[in-house]
Amino acid sequence: MTHLSSDELIDAVEGLLPPERHAHLAACDVCQRELAGLSSVLSDAKHTSIPEPSPLFWQHFSERVRTAIDDDASQSGNWPSWIRWQVLAPIGVAAMIILGLMIAVPKQNPVDSPLALQAPEAPETLQASESWVMVTELVGNIDLDTASAAGVIEPGVAEQAVLHLTAEEQQELTRLLKAELQRAKS
Amino acid sequence: MSHESALAIQAWALPVVKPLAGLEDSELVSAAAGGSREAFDVLVERHQRTVYQVCYRFVNNHEDASDLAQDAFVRAWRGLKTFKGQSALSTWLYRIAVNVCLNRVSAKGPAMEPIDATDHVADVRIEGAQHAMIREERAVAVRKAIASLPDKQRATLILRTYHDMSHQQIADVLGSSVGAVKANFFHALANLKKILGTEP
Repeated sequence: MTHLSSDELIDAVEGLLPPERHAHLAACDVCQRELAGLSSVLSDAKHTSIPEPSPLFWQHFSERVRTAIDDDASQSGNWPSWIRWQVLAPIGVAAMIILGLMIAVPKQNPVDSPLALQAPEAPETLQASESWVMVTELVGNIDLDTASAAGVIEPGVAEQAVLHLTAEEQQELTRLLKAELQRAKS
Repeated sequence: MSHESALAIQAWALPVVKPLAGLEDSELVSAAAGGSREAFDVLVERHQRTVYQVCYRFVNNHEDASDLAQDAFVRAWRGLKTFKGQSALSTWLYRIAVNVCLNRVSAKGPAMEPIDATDHVADVRIEGAQHAMIREERAVAVRKAIASLPDKQRATLILRTYHDMSHQQIADVLGSSVGAVKANFFHALANLKKILGTEP
């Protein structure tokens, strides 16, 4: 009969060897020696305690964990703490409305350019400008109040969010809006 | 109204506020997941010793073990909302602690017991208990040998031998199969035997 496998030796160490394998173990010196070696080292390991830290360590440990959690919370966001959806959503809506208004503002007629008179518009450009006209007509009449009434933006959310920003955050918001306006103009 | 009935009404009307320390782990987890730091403090106090012991067995020194145990609890706090209670909280904490240890150990290399960890051997000598000293020296050697085992073998041996976890629970913690756990346990013991030169 074959020697005990590593699984069976572990079962034997833990007293869980199936009865049908006991006969082999009883007759096999190699398996007995192997089992005795494993059992001995396991017993050694079981009886090895670890040094107990001082009682003071335990008293302060939960406090230490608490401090570590606070530090972790403050470090976890490399993003500025004010960048949350509660702030970003109204800003996003406000930016969309501004964009809509900018599109709605009548632009200088490109017909003034002599080149524009000569060059016929490409079909895609024509289609695009038609889409823009439609968007302009749809969005052009929508101001902040209308958007609020339509439920696009809850009344006062954007204002509330802006009012709760610190001076530094307001500066950042101004910068973002300016950059957005600049991008839209160009 | 009798005094007894007045008391009965009072007891019924007032909400019963159980002290946190008297709550079950599952109740504390719910409270902590809802943001109660006090509830989490109680959980830390309840499980700090076992989590520390897992970490100590891994790294074999107090400084690293306390850092790792702390790290394990920070991660537990972060992940509380993901704990669904399918396993015991202690098993979940073991899993976190073992993962923290495995990551740290592989990043830092093999763990070594500092020289001062054997200081208490000298204390024992002063007591004149030669037998205790020999036993303690043996314990130092065994801890060192365990700390030198490959990661999975070490984790398996620690969880099976010192925390009485079943093969299935260890498999869950390590993300492996029962067969792999048994194989790792066998190799851990065989390697320990080789390192320690244990003769039956």
